[in-house]
Amino acid sequence: MDIAAYISSGIIESYVLGLASEEEVSILNCIRKNNVEVEQAIAEAEKALEGLADIQAMAMPAALKQDIWNRLEAENLVLKDDQPDGLSTDEAISHDTVVQAPISNTEELPKRIVPARSYGWAIAASILFVLSVGANLFFYQQQKENKEMLVQANTTLDTQNATLAILQEKWSLVQNPAVKTIALKGVENKPDLHALVFWDQTSKAVYLSLEQMPAAPKGKQYQLWAMVDGQPVSAGVFPLNAKEAMASKMLDVSKAQAFAITLEDEGGKPVPTLTELCVMGSI
Amino acid sequence: MSPLHNLPEETLILLLKKKNQQAFSYLYDNYADALYGVVCRIVASTEHAEEVIQDVFVKIWKHVDLFDSEKGRLYTWMINIARNTALDYRKSKGVVNEMKNQPLSNIVNTDEERDQSGSEQHTKADFIGFRNILDKLKPECRILIEMAYYEGYTQQEIAEQLDVPLGTVKTRTKAAFLQLKQLLKDYR
Repeated sequence: MDIAAYISSGIIESYVLGLASEEEVSILNCIRKNNVEVEQAIAEAEKALEGLADIQAMAMPAALKQDIWNRLEAENLVLKDDQPDGLSTDEAISHDTVVQAPISNTEELPKRIVPARSYGWAIAASILFVLSVGANLFFYQQQKENKEMLVQANTTLDTQNATLAILQEKWSLVQNPAVKTIALKGVENKPDLHALVFWDQTSKAVYLSLEQMPAAPKGKQYQLWAMVDGQPVSAGVFPLNAKEAMASKMLDVSKAQAFAITLEDEGGKPVPTLTELCVMGSI
Repeated sequence: MSPLHNLPEETLILLLKKKNQQAFSYLYDNYADALYGVVCRIVASTEHAEEVIQDVFVKIWKHVDLFDSEKGRLYTWMINIARNTALDYRKSKGVVNEMKNQPLSNIVNTDEERDQSGSEQHTKADFIGFRNILDKLKPECRILIEMAYYEGYTQQEIAEQLDVPLGTVKTRTKAAFLQLKQLLKDYR
């Protein structure tokens, strides 16, 4: 349903004026439950009529206040203050009102003035109390939420720091002029695979980063080979516990024309299983 | 004016449920005049209005426990009690029929013109001295709010009386609220 069109159709205003049909009302009640904008539009229309009532207010005849109160009392609709009303709003009101005992007997004017003045304090006290309880609950809830959020944020931060450390390490390798980066591309039947070898020409250290390689299946491990004058020489296995994105230090290689990776049984092999060749790249 | 005039609705509901005199005092001091204004415009006679407004207070007092803040605002709820009680009263006194049998021109007329027609209009004239913000609306919007809100016509009846399609009634209702909101803004 197009909510904007619904809101501008005038149905909400009709409803607030009491003009909407039964069917329109039941549709509206259904929509308002699930839609904040509609709920808001209803409240706004209601406030307009409240504003109208405020402005069109007319002074009530003064005597009516007492008349109505008497009628409420006569119809037994008034709860006496010393009577438990089942509502534990707060103590402040009842304490204050117990002191001004004959509240309900307000036939004479002077008696009416006394409680009327004290009500202000009683109501003020009760409001303060309610506000304070509300605020306490609110802040307690907020604190709890904040704590949870903090823990979450810390976890995220840790993960990100770890990732950052890995990236920084790689970056320092890439930036080092002595380090050669060799891209190992997937072989014919595995074209998507991709790994990087960082080879320090000075220290002869070799680092391997599995950029795009599936995690090694159980019992298997990736093994790096340096092709030295046509012969594969093992440069070690990629540690099982290392994260794939990490640049892991392998065995030093002093001379090579190419690098290749095979998937071998855990621990590695002295010679590569050529059918398990994954990626390779020449220098 | 009470220093607590701006009591939030939630607090007021809590207070009203205590059903004691301070709750009544607050309710009366802050809302009686506005509710009385609504009642007066509907029943159109001070004598009847005084009777009706008492019923309104008794109803609010009795039914406040049934009020559900999820379904609307407390003030609106009270206004609607005032409106419905006054409209029911009018119906029971046959005022509605009297009004509905009047020619359309009476409804379309301004208050000054109404003044000179039938007795019902004369009693209504009691209130002409009071500020009527609705006069500042465009006539077709004012008529609509008066008929719907203060006279209890249905949408269908309004469409028939004004001889416009139902859709037009809705569009005008929307327009009337836009104008009303603007007017209220200017008043504040």
